Amino acid sequence: MDDPIDLNSINAKIQGIKKTTEELKHLGYNFPALSRNADRILASIKMLEINITDCIDLDSPE
Amino acid sequence: MIADQKYWNPVLETLPRERIRDLQLKKFKRIFQWAYDHSEFHRNLYQKAGLGPGDIRSFEDIRRVPKVEKAMMREIQCKDPFPYGDALCVPLEEVTAFRQTSGTTGQPVYQPDTWQDWEWWAECWSYILWAQGYRAKDRVFIPFGYNVFVAFWAGHYAAEKIGCEVIPGGVLDTQARILKIKELRATAMMATPTYILGMADTARNKLGIEPSELSINKITCAGEPGASIPSTKKRMETAWGARVYDHAGATEIGAWSYECRNQPGGIHVNEAFFLVEIEDLQTGEFIQEPGRRGKMIITALDRQAQPCIRFDAKDVIEWDPNSCDCGRTFRLIKGGVLGRSDDITKVKGVLLAPAAIEAAVRGIDGLGDEYEVVVDKLGDMDRIKLKVELIPGSEDSAKAIEAQLKDQLRLKTNLAFRIEFYDYGRLPRYEVKAKRFKDLRKKNTNNK
Repeated sequence: MDDPIDLNSINAKIQGIKKTTEELKHLGYNFPALSRNADRILASIKMLEINITDCIDLDSPE
Repeated sequence: MIADQKYWNPVLETLPRERIRDLQLKKFKRIFQWAYDHSEFHRNLYQKAGLGPGDIRSFEDIRRVPKVEKAMMREIQCKDPFPYGDALCVPLEEVTAFRQTSGTTGQPVYQPDTWQDWEWWAECWSYILWAQGYRAKDRVFIPFGYNVFVAFWAGHYAAEKIGCEVIPGGVLDTQARILKIKELRATAMMATPTYILGMADTARNKLGIEPSELSINKITCAGEPGASIPSTKKRMETAWGARVYDHAGATEIGAWSYECRNQPGGIHVNEAFFLVEIEDLQTGEFIQEPGRRGKMIITALDRQAQPCIRFDAKDVIEWDPNSCDCGRTFRLIKGGVLGRSDDITKVKGVLLAPAAIEAAVRGIDGLGDEYEVVVDKLGDMDRIKLKVELIPGSEDSAKAIEAQLKDQLRLKTNLAFRIEFYDYGRLPRYEVKAKRFKDLRKKNTNNK
């Protein structure tokens, strides 16, 4: 039997990498290779959010 | 092993129905707010209807949100911000991809996407491909022109995301594509049903290669309803010795549905990413129950640059009363997309959906894959003619085939057709979307 999926724990890590990536993007305001790659990572993180975060946030107010 | 996992997303694809509805409502509110805040087009549309973001509290409220039609998008494009107009929700410099619709029904509509939108497109397709058994061990051949049409672009990126090895069939001609499949032992491919059948014909008759002896074991179709028409699906599966799966998507919408490996006679709506509503074709009444055909109104719940909110897609669909044994809780559309509401036309007073003709033609063994339908008038009377090809060797059975075809057509369409037989290879061949229905009654009177 598969282990149960701990969505809250996964989401905490998603939010962690999102925060870190946003910080990297901010640091890259004069560093295109940093800023643009951080943008791409954020787009991928958004896919993690629509796959996971949206689902666990269902009961929270918008 | 990740390859053994049945679902791309084991949480969303098996979410209880009431949770799916909660998710859709929450996401609809979010995309409505986004469009209202960032696009003048959407804000004006909703303000005229007396709606603001705070007014969307239930599915009944969603049905009060004005629909968007393709003609409205045509009207705003080429205005500022050029060339998309004021439905654009992001600064122009955030747009990273241009695509356009095929223009089958008129002036093509432009579609801007951000990089996040492209990640989303690939994510939609990842659900499709995973459900159809694509895994990292697959070598996927994509015989598509890689141009301004969205077609299989996102399928390409999704296959890469899954870990497949992708061979872009780009500018190669059909024979070169078949030889490349053979040379590299590709295991999967994606194309329109018309092209899949055309490739099989070319392989046999121009290259002397039996397509079922190549290594393709699964095919994903798009662009036409053929993969959900049992007789067409059977022809493709027999020709290639492969499982053939359907999916439906559109440039303005995204890849919104997919057939799974169970081949349940329908396609799952990806309800975590899309909200599908069905309206009666005549009255516009909301249809919730299975078995009643209507027109699809669809919302892409996560699309950013040019949102797709309650888009009148003109696709004719119906809910399947059954759930799928695959365990997905996403609802099924029975028989896939059945046609387009603007393709359904009255002939001799009878409503005719061209897909019914395809089902009849492809169900008869002695007929080739190609056909053409011509409707015209003699005086005030409609006439309908079907042009078909006999496959070599079946010429002696022409009379029996004609009788069988007429019976099937009457059964499926309630119409009497005149049949014209052509030598094999005489009717036009198509590489992408076929244009097999010619309504000459509209000539010179319909310039849409």
